[in-house]
Amino acid sequence: MLTVETTSLTPPLLQIRGLRKSFGAHQILKGVDLDVRKGEVVSIIGSSGSGKTTLLRCVNLLEEFEGGQVLLDEEAIGYREAGGRRVRLKDRDLARQRAKTGMVFQSFNLFPHLTAAGNVMLGLRKVKGMAKAEARAVAENWLRRVGLGERVDHAPSRLSGGQQQRVAIARALAMDPKLVLLDEITSALDPELVNEVLATVKELANDGATMLLVTHEMRFAREVSDTVVFMEKGQVSEKGPPSQIYGAPQHPRLVEFLRGTRDH
Amino acid sequence: MNEFLAEAWDARDAIVGGLLQTLSISATSIVLGTLVGILVGIVLVYGAWPARLVCRTYVDIMRGTPVLVLVLAAFYMPTVLAIHLTPFEAGVLALALFCGSHIGELIRGALQAIPRGQTEAAKAIGLTFSGVLLDVLLPQAVRSLLPPWVNTCVEMVKASTLLSVIGTGELLLRTQEIIGRNFLTLQFYLLAGGLYLVINFAIEQAGKALERRVAYR
Repeated sequence: MLTVETTSLTPPLLQIRGLRKSFGAHQILKGVDLDVRKGEVVSIIGSSGSGKTTLLRCVNLLEEFEGGQVLLDEEAIGYREAGGRRVRLKDRDLARQRAKTGMVFQSFNLFPHLTAAGNVMLGLRKVKGMAKAEARAVAENWLRRVGLGERVDHAPSRLSGGQQQRVAIARALAMDPKLVLLDEITSALDPELVNEVLATVKELANDGATMLLVTHEMRFAREVSDTVVFMEKGQVSEKGPPSQIYGAPQHPRLVEFLRGTRDH
Repeated sequence: MNEFLAEAWDARDAIVGGLLQTLSISATSIVLGTLVGILVGIVLVYGAWPARLVCRTYVDIMRGTPVLVLVLAAFYMPTVLAIHLTPFEAGVLALALFCGSHIGELIRGALQAIPRGQTEAAKAIGLTFSGVLLDVLLPQAVRSLLPPWVNTCVEMVKASTLLSVIGTGELLLRTQEIIGRNFLTLQFYLLAGGLYLVINFAIEQAGKALERRVAYR
């Protein structure tokens, strides 16, 4: 699936270097390094509490972090140096950087006061400054792509979980982000609705979207990813192509973890 | 009965004048109080701690003081500072400050009741703080806010009667003056009570219509 520039000449789209993050005395991320190249799909797997979701939230600046760097397109995310100290960026700059990434959440988080189209249009209108008709056209186009062309004017409360999550995917993708972050997007879904969402993600991956995703769906991670990353206790303990991670895992914890999820 | 009708007809200017005064006191203090309340509510949730402390102190003092005391204070205290307010201005000031504290708390509660995921999703598409507030949080807060807000409006109409003690010619004071002339105590108090009932009934119906309009489809 890795179709785009794999040469080491172009720097990776996303570079995470020595990322450290604590909640109080508890260290969640203990120096994480991770690259995502343009067009690449990277899945993060690992048991709960390993820091996967926190890592994703740091990339989208929903969490602050104490150490290390996140570079998106060679721009430092969230912080700048001022007189030798790192300073959190202002609201306006954080918003500009967040607009470069799209995020899809475990709990959908659709805006209940807006229709499906309204959800997709909000960012197009307020962040990208599109005219209403243009934003509407983009929104309709994206909702068609995720298979919801018939549900454009439905309120979120009238959509199933799987449909809501596909609206959320359209909302994130319509902003034309450089990187899409997917945070356990099928964990809150009924089992029979999981596949429609995963199929949508697969199509987008095939179309060349760059994705960093956290998932518990092992078969999906295996099929869709170029690289699979196994996180354990706040660190990346093994990474490689799916064939290696699932076929010949090295780290004893990974072997154990995969045995626990064998039937997925 | 005929005597009452004749007296009421004679006093029609006073009654209508009092009614209009009551409406204008209520409307002004609700509008001002709502504006103050929105600001206070937002500061209580998102403000830096000094601003939050100021708003919290204001809200607690206003909510912990009887409205009648506030009305008297607004009437007598500015005079000490050589600020002269008419009874109408002093009364509206007291009611607006009282109303603002209540609506501030309502807004705070409504904002805090919105799941955190809404703010995160709004930030994730690149909205700034003002965008998150105006386009995502406040439209949702308004829906849960509407019933208690209508309730507060009704309370303000009732509280406007307290302005009679500082000599604002609203419906209750006018009624008392009329009774002072003709001694038809029961009849005219019933008339005043009926008028208050009509006003508040109308407010509640308007509120319900508004709720239906903004309800999630």
